[in-house]
Amino acid sequence: MREKKQKTTDEDYEFVSLCKKGDVDAFGVLVKKHQKSMFNIAYRMIGNYEEACDIVQDAFVSAYRSIKSFKGTAKFSTWLYTIVMNLSKNRLKQLKTQRHREKFSINNPIPTNDGQTRGELASSEPSALENLEKRDVQQKVQECINSLDEEFREVLILRDIQGLSYGEISDLLEVPEGTVKSRLFRAREAIKDCLKEVIGDL
Amino acid sequence: MECRDIQEKLSAYMEGIISSEEKVLIDEHLKTCQKCNGSLADLKKTLEYVQNLEEMEPPPWLAGKVMARVRSEVAPKRGVFQRLFYPLHIKLPIEALATILVAVVTIYVFKTIQPEVKLAKAPPAEVTPRILLQEKEKTHALDEAKPLPAKPAEQFTLAEEKEIPVGKHVKAPKAPAKVAKRDKVLPSAGVVKKGELKREALPCELRTRALVERKDEAISLTINVKDIETAGKEIEEAFIRSGGKIIKKEYFVQRNIIVAELDSKKVKELLEKLKRVGEVKEKALALEPREGSIEIKIEIVRKQ
Repeated sequence: MREKKQKTTDEDYEFVSLCKKGDVDAFGVLVKKHQKSMFNIAYRMIGNYEEACDIVQDAFVSAYRSIKSFKGTAKFSTWLYTIVMNLSKNRLKQLKTQRHREKFSINNPIPTNDGQTRGELASSEPSALENLEKRDVQQKVQECINSLDEEFREVLILRDIQGLSYGEISDLLEVPEGTVKSRLFRAREAIKDCLKEVIGDL
Repeated sequence: MECRDIQEKLSAYMEGIISSEEKVLIDEHLKTCQKCNGSLADLKKTLEYVQNLEEMEPPPWLAGKVMARVRSEVAPKRGVFQRLFYPLHIKLPIEALATILVAVVTIYVFKTIQPEVKLAKAPPAEVTPRILLQEKEKTHALDEAKPLPAKPAEQFTLAEEKEIPVGKHVKAPKAPAKVAKRDKVLPSAGVVKKGELKREALPCELRTRALVERKDEAISLTINVKDIETAGKEIEEAFIRSGGKIIKKEYFVQRNIIVAELDSKKVKELLEKLKRVGEVKEKALALEPREGSIEIKIEIVRKQ
């Protein structure tokens, strides 16, 4: 008798089974399906586009390598996000020590989806003020997120950006739901204070 | 409830994940408390900002790259194995070629060192006939299994009628040259005495025998003197002065034999000394300077 907490039937179940048998193409399907969320988690955690690309790749490859040991007690996506989250946190630690030595800031201008890529705001083509402002705000929000401690950062991203349930977050981070809630509260407060400083009146 | 308590719960309140009792309390409080209302408003706006963050698009090449890496992880297992073991239609001709090459090189090398091989082979071959002859002469039963005593300094002569353990030689013709040198002292005991006989017996091995003899007893000479006792003493002294070592002395009626070991470089020096003692007649002499020490056998004969 399997003791499991399967909340919902995992839609990925079929493909996961195929992967376990060595079906590489089945894994490809899963990659395409989850890459966006994976990427966003990594991106919001790290705050750097290129780093996020690397982390996501590594996360998928790592997932493939250990897919045979995926037990299916949690959702596949949860398991996947755990991997990307852990890699992101590791990378953060590395960057922190680097930054400490080099005094390097990872404040990057955030590329937005309107086609404008990275670059100083001062340079590049004239863009609509709105876009500029939007980009500016987005950048500021991300900077505020960057300023959070890891444990607050992760709950904020998973809950308010990715929209995961408290149960899923609890599974993912391996902390009780109560802890998730209280951390989330403090994360939001911290962001609020930061934004007030950076933007002014909200 | 106090504002502080309310503040803490606003986050959950906002999401609607608090108990209904608490909700009622907070609702009440919010009706009057401006501060808390403000906090709630701020909280909501903050959430808005965060949730309005654009969802990022990963680069279009990302999925492809992931799959490429994944596939390359799967493939090589066979690849490595295949790399080590080429398919048969390639492997066999290569192996055949390699075999031929090895054979050719072996033959070539063998041909080049052929003369030396003959030389190296000679001593073991030598030992056997010598032993056979000795056997006939002495009619000793040679114990094959007798190990060679490690007494390089001693030399057994036929005159003493001692059994010469030669089992080792019979068994190990491939003994390395260094060891063989010492070992062969024993069976070659008879060499000098029956040198003539041996030479006739095996004429074709002349050159190699000479080499062998040189190894066994590099120098063998006779010295004619008036007084063999005095001469003996003088010769002994000469050896000692040259840093040599007396191995054996044999006394007969008309002659004495001294066998000694000397550094090959000092041989010439010794010869000069010997010439002062008496008339030197050389039987076998290794003139080339060789490494290490040489054995010298001196037969002191009274002049007639």
